[in-house]
Amino acid sequence: MAPVPDPNSVGGGAKRDEATTKVPSKDSKKKDDKKEEDLSEEDLQLKQNLELYVERVQDPNPELQKAALESMRQEIRDSTSSMTSVPKPLKFLRPHYGVLKEFHVKMAESDLKKMLADILSVLALTMSAEGERESLNYRLTGSEGDIGSWGHEYVRNLAGEIAEEYTMRQGEESSIEDLMDLVQQIVSFHMKHNAETEAVDLLMDVEDLDLLLEHVDSTNFRRTCNYLTSAAKYLPGPDDMLVLDIAYMIYIKFAEYPNALQIALFLDNMQYVKQVFTSCTDLLKKKQFCYMIARHGITFVLEQEMVANEQDREALQDIVNNTKLSEGYLTLARDIEVMEAKTPEDIYKAHLLDGRVSSGASVDSARQNLSATFVNAFVNAGFGQDKLMTVPSDSTSGSAGNWLFKNKEHGKTSAAASLGMIQLWDVNTGLAQLDKYFHSSDNPVIAGALLGVGIVNCGIKDDCEPAFALLADYIDNEDSSVRIGAIMGLGIAYAGSKNDQIRSRLSPILNDAKAPLDVIAFAALSLGMIYVGSCNEEVAQSIIFALMDRSEAELGEALTRFLPLGLGLLYLGKQESVEATAEVSKTFNEKIRKYCDMTLLSCAYAGTGNVLKVQDLLAQCGEHLEKGDIHQGPAVIGLAMVAISEELGLDMEIRSLERVLQYGEPNIRRAVPLALGLLCISNPKVTVMDTLSRLSHDTDSEVAMAAIISLGLIGAGTNNARIAGMLRNLSSYYYKDANLLFCVRIAQGFVHMGKGLLTLNPFHSERLLLSPTALAGIVTLLHACLDMRSIILGKYHYVLYFLVLAMQPRMMLTVDENLKPISVPVRVGQAVDVVGQAGRPKTITGFQTHSTPVLLAAGERAELATEKYIPLSPILEGFIILKENPDYREE
Amino acid sequence: MLTVSVKWQKKVFESMEIDTSQPPYVFKAQLYDLSGVPPERQKIMVKGGILKDDADWSTLGLKNGQKLMMMGTADEIVKAPEKGPVFMEDLPEEERAANLGYSAGLVNLGNTCYMNSTMQCLKSVPELKSELSNYQSARTKDVDQTSHMLTVATRELFSELDKSVKAVAPMPFWMVLQKKYPQFAQLHNGNHMQQDAEECWTQMLYTLSQSLKPPSPSEDPDAVKALFGLNLRSRLHCQESSEESSETESVFSLKCHISHEVNHLHEGLKHGLKGELEKTSPALGRTVVYIKESLIDSLPRYLTVQFVRFFWKRESNQKAKILRKVDYPLELDIYDLCSEDLRKKLEAPRQKLRDIEGQKLGLQASAKSSSKGDDVKMTDAEGSSNGSGESSNGDQQGGASSHMTGIYDLVSVLTHKGRSADSGHYVSWVKQESGKWVQYDDANTSLQREEDITKLSGGGDWHMAYIVMYKARLISM
Repeated sequence: MAPVPDPNSVGGGAKRDEATTKVPSKDSKKKDDKKEEDLSEEDLQLKQNLELYVERVQDPNPELQKAALESMRQEIRDSTSSMTSVPKPLKFLRPHYGVLKEFHVKMAESDLKKMLADILSVLALTMSAEGERESLNYRLTGSEGDIGSWGHEYVRNLAGEIAEEYTMRQGEESSIEDLMDLVQQIVSFHMKHNAETEAVDLLMDVEDLDLLLEHVDSTNFRRTCNYLTSAAKYLPGPDDMLVLDIAYMIYIKFAEYPNALQIALFLDNMQYVKQVFTSCTDLLKKKQFCYMIARHGITFVLEQEMVANEQDREALQDIVNNTKLSEGYLTLARDIEVMEAKTPEDIYKAHLLDGRVSSGASVDSARQNLSATFVNAFVNAGFGQDKLMTVPSDSTSGSAGNWLFKNKEHGKTSAAASLGMIQLWDVNTGLAQLDKYFHSSDNPVIAGALLGVGIVNCGIKDDCEPAFALLADYIDNEDSSVRIGAIMGLGIAYAGSKNDQIRSRLSPILNDAKAPLDVIAFAALSLGMIYVGSCNEEVAQSIIFALMDRSEAELGEALTRFLPLGLGLLYLGKQESVEATAEVSKTFNEKIRKYCDMTLLSCAYAGTGNVLKVQDLLAQCGEHLEKGDIHQGPAVIGLAMVAISEELGLDMEIRSLERVLQYGEPNIRRAVPLALGLLCISNPKVTVMDTLSRLSHDTDSEVAMAAIISLGLIGAGTNNARIAGMLRNLSSYYYKDANLLFCVRIAQGFVHMGKGLLTLNPFHSERLLLSPTALAGIVTLLHACLDMRSIILGKYHYVLYFLVLAMQPRMMLTVDENLKPISVPVRVGQAVDVVGQAGRPKTITGFQTHSTPVLLAAGERAELATEKYIPLSPILEGFIILKENPDYREE
Repeated sequence: MLTVSVKWQKKVFESMEIDTSQPPYVFKAQLYDLSGVPPERQKIMVKGGILKDDADWSTLGLKNGQKLMMMGTADEIVKAPEKGPVFMEDLPEEERAANLGYSAGLVNLGNTCYMNSTMQCLKSVPELKSELSNYQSARTKDVDQTSHMLTVATRELFSELDKSVKAVAPMPFWMVLQKKYPQFAQLHNGNHMQQDAEECWTQMLYTLSQSLKPPSPSEDPDAVKALFGLNLRSRLHCQESSEESSETESVFSLKCHISHEVNHLHEGLKHGLKGELEKTSPALGRTVVYIKESLIDSLPRYLTVQFVRFFWKRESNQKAKILRKVDYPLELDIYDLCSEDLRKKLEAPRQKLRDIEGQKLGLQASAKSSSKGDDVKMTDAEGSSNGSGESSNGDQQGGASSHMTGIYDLVSVLTHKGRSADSGHYVSWVKQESGKWVQYDDANTSLQREEDITKLSGGGDWHMAYIVMYKARLISM
């Protein structure tokens, strides 16, 4: 194969190339005299022995041959156990490689020939030319003995050659049976010797991961699976699913159900989820599973076969339905002592600003009151009390009503709905408080009450389906603001539920010629949320028809963007499944065609990290269009959606967005801050913070507004002092510009969301799982931010409430076997990537010890600091059930 | 007969019995007994639907032991307040200005910053504004045409400033001012020249005092005089002949002369009230040097002090500026500049003021140690009632019961920045009724901190006070 002169292929002992190979040889004695002198006596002895063996191997006497081969093998084995430098025997045998090769050809079939082949295979490790795969070839003709006896390096080399050989044979379509035998051996060797990653690599190369199942054991399956799951992020197309399938099976095999469940959820495979429940027999563990499912935010109904006892099933279903979320969150709040309600002024902290103090206007500004409403709602979210909306009404007028009426027209919708946000997750109290607004004669107030019902029920399911019961009657109300309230409420309450009953009510609106555009837009959006990631054909059809029915003028409206977005959400993260719909979208009116295209593409590949799609989208952003085209905005947001899945891609994306920012047209620049906001959501990276801070003073006010909102997003729920300071300064910088000031206020509300107990990050469970509803909520807000003036600064500011879908407590709460909170010491520190590391490496660094419940910031991980309890899930996030450790002895 | 449980708020009504032969309304009445929520306000949720009053139980498919949910409260229904709040966004432009807390700026029409800053300072005197609004638009005989026009223009300008949010271009006023005082219309290289703000100030006050005179000659002095004018009683003393004479004069402002010894406004004022002048002595029959010492005989409601920063430099033939730093206080006491008669009159009000202030301090002190006893509380109560009395009376305009105390509070500052009177930039700094300071730099207005106001005392190239205006602190007796 290789035509270049190769010292190894030259027969009869290397002659001319000796000087370059630096291996001493008996033939050119003069030159090598000096070198031989360098050798120690021991080495000289070894060298001479080996030379003797080589001669003897060629001896006609089989006895002698055998003895020589065995001795040679012994020498090699003794030295190849570790490989930091080329072992001496290999070095000394190098000149004889050619000789032995020639002799091997001449030999008759016999055990001895095989033995020689074994030795040659090892020698080829250092002497074979690149791409010759001689080591493998000799191995295949050899004695098939224990592969590990030749040391790790040999096995590793062999594995490499197998991979090459495999691809070649795949090309020629020849048999691979002999290879697979070898693979079996290698894998079993690797798995026994702490080299799971190499075993996995080899099996991925030969596309036979199933083999892994036979070889994992209780000591190494964790590391194996860990490697598999993290490798999956970097694998293309169907391979990643395959890899995760294997990981799932391994976890099931070793009864590591929480991890198995995690992967089942990642694969969005309900069959697997079910299997986890049926395989596991421990009721307490099943409760833990329910907590995990609840955190992921999917609708899941337990069946008889999963939990036999009806009472148990009911208790478990309660957990899945998230009914205890509010309680847990309040436990956390009480423990951290942040129950005291905060007013918007507590957040603005205007007294810290010198100079330009507001002149204390005596008259209310509707805009400022509206922002105060939102800030109040976000800051006190889920606490059940605040100082504007839930103030106990005094006997005369009821001051709760007072704040409501300090908002103007559509502002009242947001104000009434904010009550839902304050009572978030506490359905019973929330509904009781919202009840009084239902009887109002003011349409915006009713709309707000409806929306509030949706918000209270976000992520919470109840058998009585209160949200549907209450909202259904208003879907066809004659007032379109009331309709929107009901439709949006349903979308939020039933996001991800795939509820057919609601579809049958909402779909007709889409194709109702008389319905106003805004109602249609919100209906499409709500349907997209309810059927998020379901690829539901019928919903897709309805939205497509609705899009086709729009007139030219309607397509130019800002709200029309929710139609393609609703369509895109149906395919969120579903990759190829979108293709048929994407084809159809090519027939749309050109005004919306590209926008639709970009939205579908970015949604379908959201959270996949697919590099090819990132490139596609980047190419779109590279174009310099004349004007009027708006599709580049979603393309930029799409970049972030695709790249958000893993850290490396995310960092690369942040850098490439910097380029896009510098070279892009205005419509691209406006979307870049939003993309940054999504990439680092609830994770205030300093570099991104600085970029956004710079953009928040941009001369293009649209860029500045987007940057300000994004500052809020990256700091959402963190109370980050630096962002809070930046925003405070921005509030004085923009004190004259009502629009920008509104954005600053909203961002301030985001940063102090839930008084710092919440996160918007759609990823959870150590950044493995992506909650589709959470992402849907964020993406909707970002799309709305692409045309800030017409939507958020216009009369549709309540789209800000879509964020509720992504709001989750960033806590770790430990509960005992009766699900009552208990406090145990935990270490919280920066998570360390331990993938592919041998042994039991530390998983966190720079930790502090706290007692639960604790807050977890982005990139942090917790571990129990006591042996007294055993957590039922290895992923210490959210609710964790602790079991007493039977082996624990008090010291 | 079915048994269900109903969840309502945090409560659960267990084992409620439903008589399926009766309409649901009966069931609701049952719930009314338990929860107090009237049936018409009850919403009972059954599997994604709301129970209707006339529904048929059999079609609902209720099971024994099923959980229902009820929503509803006996709370008062929220009603919109009869008078909804007024929003800033809805207000017409002029009302928005009122809510800003301070009025708009004036556009610079080409080196008119001296005029803008003067007008902003004058505008801050509410009494002047009310006098102007009473001014008759029809001209009376004893006012000449141009003065009348200027007065009307001033009134119009003030009212326009109060109405608008955006900066006002004082074009009509500017035209009238030039007509009345042609020196302000001087051109230099085709541009209007920078003028001395003090000149503008003086001329304006003079014109206004002329036109705002009461129509019939009465004992009352004219309004402007009452507000700004002060009487000086001067004693002329000739050292050579030991002759003495005294005279009184009425001026609109005090001068603060700046010499090497003057570091503070007070020193400058004293300096300005003492002077030498050459005069023919009737006794000696020749011109001799007289020493003139003046004392204040009557106090104005608004005391204007001009820092004499500009002087004519003969050698360079231009108006030069003294950059010396002269501090001025936020609270000025001119008691020792007053004449004996006046001092006597001031004694009682000043004593009263001291008492009140002493009580205020006492109040604070006793607040710190509130456990002292009943007698302390008594004085507390007294002090607070007096304090409030003072604030309400102090605001009354020239009521019979309020008296001068000789103590003045700073209300506006007109500053100059630059090296000569004919160049540089004039800016005014005005204290609002809310107590906040606003800087009027032509069209730009901005809020300022009080401690920055006293920093305009000169000694560098920053804005330095040229004319300051103090408001009298009155006390009711």
